[in-house]
Amino acid sequence: MSWRGLQWRLSLSGIFGMNRRNVELVYDRNPRHLYRLADDKLLAKEVLAAAGVPVPADIATAEGLYELPDVLEALDTRGEFVVKPSLGGGGNGILVVGENLAPGLWRKAGGSELTEDQLRTHLANILFGAYARGALKDRVMVEPRIHPDPVFARLWQDGLCDLRVITVDREPVMAMVRVPTAQSDGKANLHQGGIGLAVELETGRVHRAVCQRRSLTHHPDSGVPLVGLQLPLWEDILHTAVEAAHAVPLGFLGVDVVVDVHDGPLVLEINARPGLEIQNVNQRGLGLALEEVA
Amino acid sequence: MISTERPPRRGLRHGWLLLALCLIPLLSVLHKTVIRGDSLSDLLPRTRWDLVYELELDGGGGPASLATFLPVGDRRQEIVLEDDSSPGLRLTTSEEGPNRRARWTGGRVPDDTVVRHRLSVLSSALEVQLSPGLRVPDAYPQDVAVYLRPEPALPVDASELQAVLTELGADEGLLVSRLEAIHGYTRGLSAAPGGEWDDVLTVLRGGQSSARGRSRLFVSLARASGLPARVVEGLVLRRGEDGARHCWAEVWVGGNWVPFCPTHGLFAAQPSNWLTVARGDVPLFEHSGVGGYAPRFVVDSELVTSPRALAGASPLNLWALFQRLGLPFSLLRTLLILPVGALVVVLFRNVVGMPTFGTFLPALIAGAASATGALWGLVGLLLVVVMVVAVRWAVQHLRLLHSPTLAILLAAVTTALLLTSLTADRVGLHALSYVAMFPIAVLAITAERFYMALEERGLRDAGRELAGTMVVILACYLVMNSLALQALMLEFPELLLLVLAADVYLGRWVGMRLSEYLRFRQLIPQEVAA
Repeated sequence: MSWRGLQWRLSLSGIFGMNRRNVELVYDRNPRHLYRLADDKLLAKEVLAAAGVPVPADIATAEGLYELPDVLEALDTRGEFVVKPSLGGGGNGILVVGENLAPGLWRKAGGSELTEDQLRTHLANILFGAYARGALKDRVMVEPRIHPDPVFARLWQDGLCDLRVITVDREPVMAMVRVPTAQSDGKANLHQGGIGLAVELETGRVHRAVCQRRSLTHHPDSGVPLVGLQLPLWEDILHTAVEAAHAVPLGFLGVDVVVDVHDGPLVLEINARPGLEIQNVNQRGLGLALEEVA
Repeated sequence: MISTERPPRRGLRHGWLLLALCLIPLLSVLHKTVIRGDSLSDLLPRTRWDLVYELELDGGGGPASLATFLPVGDRRQEIVLEDDSSPGLRLTTSEEGPNRRARWTGGRVPDDTVVRHRLSVLSSALEVQLSPGLRVPDAYPQDVAVYLRPEPALPVDASELQAVLTELGADEGLLVSRLEAIHGYTRGLSAAPGGEWDDVLTVLRGGQSSARGRSRLFVSLARASGLPARVVEGLVLRRGEDGARHCWAEVWVGGNWVPFCPTHGLFAAQPSNWLTVARGDVPLFEHSGVGGYAPRFVVDSELVTSPRALAGASPLNLWALFQRLGLPFSLLRTLLILPVGALVVVLFRNVVGMPTFGTFLPALIAGAASATGALWGLVGLLLVVVMVVAVRWAVQHLRLLHSPTLAILLAAVTTALLLTSLTADRVGLHALSYVAMFPIAVLAITAERFYMALEERGLRDAGRELAGTMVVILACYLVMNSLALQALMLEFPELLLLVLAADVYLGRWVGMRLSEYLRFRQLIPQEVAA
């Protein structure tokens, strides 16, 4: 196993490492001053909505502590909403709320209760940038809770499965679904034990399922078959992702789409520096996928 | 059409930039060394050893008198600065043969009187090429010939010595071969503690020896063979350690005294950090009228400019600038070496793929640790981390807002550092008390980064990053504290452009990080069909 042989096999695999992703995809296509369009979810949502891309509705937003009483009042007697930090990443700071038990008292998606005090602290922490990766202030966004399409809901009851489409120069290149598991604590995060489903771009069919590098055929908790699963509204999903890519001046994107049972595909967020784990899920280097699209 | 190729024009631009960044410093260094004709060793900064004889006296009955020897300047060591503080005592120095005798005298001294005699020494290594054809001369100058005579601890006429010389073939023949035989023989003795094994004949019979015994035997054999020789008393200097006493030998060869150390196997050589203190087999300290004394040789070192470099008329003469402004050279050193440390961090992050807190924190911490040693840098870091975890645990249930939590964290970190310093000082762990010298700002930023990592990604990821940070700190420390590299950067600051060239190159390098070979191992084809 010579080093040169290894390098040659590497070049055949088309794997994008971090350095190559940054130099060849991010820096050449995404001007740094436009990262904000993707990193700031509220801003992204405004831009996408303005371009006619379907996004979740707004219940409330807040920029400062002075707005919190209004936000709490708007939420006082309603349930089924999600609180998010606009600058958060990796699902941090996201609070999913279920039914409203009494004014100022809710049940969280996880089952535990949430008091108005706890909610206020959480909102304030968001505003102070606790989840904002280095920033010192942030904005709060409150959206209606998504009710996923039954195909996705069957995979995992309590959390959201999100669908990631990588677009390069506005063309979809690779796609995967991230499915939460008991091990991942309900988060659709591959590093924490979530499942990655590789999706065929042409058909929307799942051809591979991976959890922590192991191939699976069924969901370990629910037993639902994964490989061979046909995703619903695949044409619409791809179309939505491409629309989102056209709405922002970013040539390399990870578009996160959810399929709501009523509203169809909605863009949850866009990412200007999408991760590379999607290659392991699809068992394919990004370079090969790019050649194919070209 | 999707193209992942880099636009060719940009590639060209990088190429020209790299070329310029490499050529300019190389030409400049070439200019300084070749065209101006200065040799590299003339230009490079030298190590200045700052040595303090620290003698703590116990009070005694009568008038106090304490004598020792002080180093003398010669062709390989130059005494550039000397000053004395000896409360209640008077210092007189006098020449005693090749040595300089220092004597402190006075009335009765109280307990815990401390004599401090400071010396700054510039020294260089000595390596003498001995011509193998040299013959043993028939006669010597009078002041050299005395080093052929026997002395109380240096027998010359003993028949046993003659027997060994004959056995070694060192009783006749050319000078260098005699020395090689004697050096090889004394070097080959097995090591033994001092005292009994300091005595020449005991060593000769027993086949083992202390360093002193070896040097004495070497000298005795050399004298017996007709070569003037003497024992040398000296100090081995190491930065951050007390100077250690050592003795070796000198032989008169071709008009010069040439050093030999049978203990460390040095033949006609003396390292730059060996300070010659006295010639001859003399007791280093003598005292009367004091109850006792505890000598320490406190050692520090500093890079200083060579006179040649200071005189150089380069517009980039930072040495001269700093001297004019009265800024410490250590600051200049840190400033120039920091970009090198940053390059080390870049290598670890982008080529190895090791996660660290912040991009340049490891380089900053390593830079700060140059004053305290790498160990205390890491201790400081761990202390901060422990405090962060403890405070986070303690205030968690208070559900405080984010920024005030960070402020509490900072207060806890500074308090912890101060308390550690105080405690360390109380119990006599002097090195640990330096922890408070650590730049609080750097540690505070580290604390915040670690806290964020803990909050956002959990203990496992934060721990991984902490481990990575510590490894990179150590690497930065090793590189940034390399004296050779510091000397080079100090004399040729234009070499920073080479560091920039490496940064530019790595900035467009698209290779896989080492960690990614592991991460994507499933995607690398095992075999390729021909």
